[in-house]
Amino acid sequence: MPSYLLYEGKEHMQRIHGWRKFLYVLAFIGPTILGILVFSVYPIIYNTYISFTNRNVFHANPDCSAGLNSIIEPTCWPVFKEHALSGMGSLFQIQMPLFKNYITLLGTIFTPIILLALLRVLLCFIPLLIASLVNRHYRKEYIPPVSRSVVTLIGVALTVILFLVGSPAESATLTQTGVPPYKALLLDGPTALGLVTNSGDFFIVVFRTVLYVICCIPLFFIIGLILALLLNVKNLPGRSFFRVALIVPWAASNVAIMMSLVWKFFFQEVGTVNQMTKLLFNAPPVLWLNDPTIAFAVCVLANIWYSYPFFMVTILGALQSIPTELYEASEVDGAGWWQQLFQITLPLIRPAVIPIIVLSSITTFQMFGTVYAITGGGPSLGAGVPGITDFVMVYAYKQVLQSSNYGLMGAFAVIIFIMLFIATILSLRITRITKGAEG
Amino acid sequence: MNLRSESIKTNRRVNQKAGRKTQPGIRIFQLILAILATLFALYPVWFILLAALRPGSTLYTLDLLGMFIPTQFSLENFKAILFQEPFLMWMRNSLFVAGFTTVACLLISTSSAYAFSRMRFFGRDFGLVLLLAIQSFPGVLSLIPIAQLITALGLYKEYWGLILAYTSGTLVFCTLNLKGYFDTIPIDLEEAGMIDGCGPFQSFLLIALPLARPAIAVTALFGFMAGWGEYVLASVILPAPSNIQTVMVGMYQMANSRSVPWGTFAAGAVLIIIPVLIVFLYLQRFLAGGLTLGGVKG
Repeated sequence: MPSYLLYEGKEHMQRIHGWRKFLYVLAFIGPTILGILVFSVYPIIYNTYISFTNRNVFHANPDCSAGLNSIIEPTCWPVFKEHALSGMGSLFQIQMPLFKNYITLLGTIFTPIILLALLRVLLCFIPLLIASLVNRHYRKEYIPPVSRSVVTLIGVALTVILFLVGSPAESATLTQTGVPPYKALLLDGPTALGLVTNSGDFFIVVFRTVLYVICCIPLFFIIGLILALLLNVKNLPGRSFFRVALIVPWAASNVAIMMSLVWKFFFQEVGTVNQMTKLLFNAPPVLWLNDPTIAFAVCVLANIWYSYPFFMVTILGALQSIPTELYEASEVDGAGWWQQLFQITLPLIRPAVIPIIVLSSITTFQMFGTVYAITGGGPSLGAGVPGITDFVMVYAYKQVLQSSNYGLMGAFAVIIFIMLFIATILSLRITRITKGAEG
Repeated sequence: MNLRSESIKTNRRVNQKAGRKTQPGIRIFQLILAILATLFALYPVWFILLAALRPGSTLYTLDLLGMFIPTQFSLENFKAILFQEPFLMWMRNSLFVAGFTTVACLLISTSSAYAFSRMRFFGRDFGLVLLLAIQSFPGVLSLIPIAQLITALGLYKEYWGLILAYTSGTLVFCTLNLKGYFDTIPIDLEEAGMIDGCGPFQSFLLIALPLARPAIAVTALFGFMAGWGEYVLASVILPAPSNIQTVMVGMYQMANSRSVPWGTFAAGAVLIIIPVLIVFLYLQRFLAGGLTLGGVKG
């Protein structure tokens, strides 16, 4: 088809050429592009710039006489000059070495020992990779054929074993001088991971956030699946009531901050849980949210409350599009309930579930309101160290608003953005959300 | 969307025909599971309703029954939140900000959604991917630049500043939703219009836009709720004094003040959540049907 057609579709639709076509398209998408450029692209550029400066609470104001500043800093533009920041604090400037903020954030990651420890941790996942490779390409060539789950199980088992073996006690001596760095490779998994995550705020924050995602997503899926299967029982009494009632948390997630404050209240010193334990067992009140594990678990629980309806509704939709004949046929062949679940239901809902797992992982990684309202990033592990539930966004928010570490957080934002950008591009390929009308 | 719900309906009919008798043990197990799940789902919302209706500015009741069913009844807390706190002010501010955000966002995004669905231009598919990826830069991380930009425009502590920031934040969401719906409208009508001499603007305004009315309504409501529940930007751009805050910021500060009037807080929370619940439960069939997952057809 010739490329000068303005519209998708058939040949005889409007033909508009060259500049006129460009103007038409611009008229339609121009305002959106402008909005994105000003409020999404510019912030990214500005953040990158800030990440190379020493801007913080002591160096708060832009130096408009410096070349780059006068361009990139909007309050330096003559038009906006009257709104320029005026306050205490001296001027900030680009600092040397250029990557100082990045180095502060990533800590000692670039020393050989830590890099090798990181390599040590990553090496553990090789069996898993091999297992998935085998599953994808070679599984059918074996005689007799091996079940997919057996291969996966072997891969997981080998990964766990690889993670656990090694010499544990050397981490203290490793950081001293004179120890050959290759010894990091001989460490056991937990110690090596500890070395990596202790190397700077960045890794510990990202590690805990990933852990949070890993805790949340399978629970979303399992609870969503169970409830969807339940709602899919045709003659369940009160089915339509349950269907509406179980969606209520999704509605409440529109005002997540508000409901999270209620969740916080449940676990406070004078909160509901303590009242119940007092009434039932006469137990003394416990500060639940001061316990690291429980605080983390409460964040997971609240997030489950918000997110399982999304999974439930999607899975229910997928379940209802499975033809009943499949179940009937399998029943004739003598398949039990579990067999039907694993051989028919799960494979057939897979295309609907994979995209929401990907989307949920990304939103959970960026979870802010819920966690911030419940724990505020705490319980604290000491001054200057991120708290247990200081997940990526909570950490960034607190660093910006409470500590005013603008330069450092610029660097943080740049690194996180690169990660999320790649994740989003990959997820879009999986979810195919941008397919055009013809797709 | 219609086609889809039709097919679900026929499926249901088929399924009902095939429905078999369930063993009583399994049925009881199913019911217990469903009731437990419902308790988990409803309790937090039910809890604030109880707390709001309990007299006295405290949530602390030490009778077990009172935690599950209303034992006392009073509207004291509602009076307190409405007349002693600047709650009505906050509601007005939030309505104003979320309302204008929705209008502005729809004005801008319908045309771009139409273009992304219908028109053929260089970098269309790639552009949409890029928009989404750029949008993935989370609001919390762009706090500094956006606050800086709003300040430069002289809109710090102004509603318009927040509206501007929200509008650009929801643009991509609105564009994507509407594009998904435009994709489901057959192009034939516009084609017919063009043979009769419609230009692109006419076929957009006179043919496609009226057809997309339901999607516009739904997108508007979701855009509105996004603005209604937002906290981070609101807390930075409209931090103080309390009479210019939005309702989320106001309530958050109330819940974190030194002596929290929890009963009053609960009454406010009820007033915020109940409308959202009603609107959302009415809209959720659109959600499941085609909006968020509309683009995910294989």
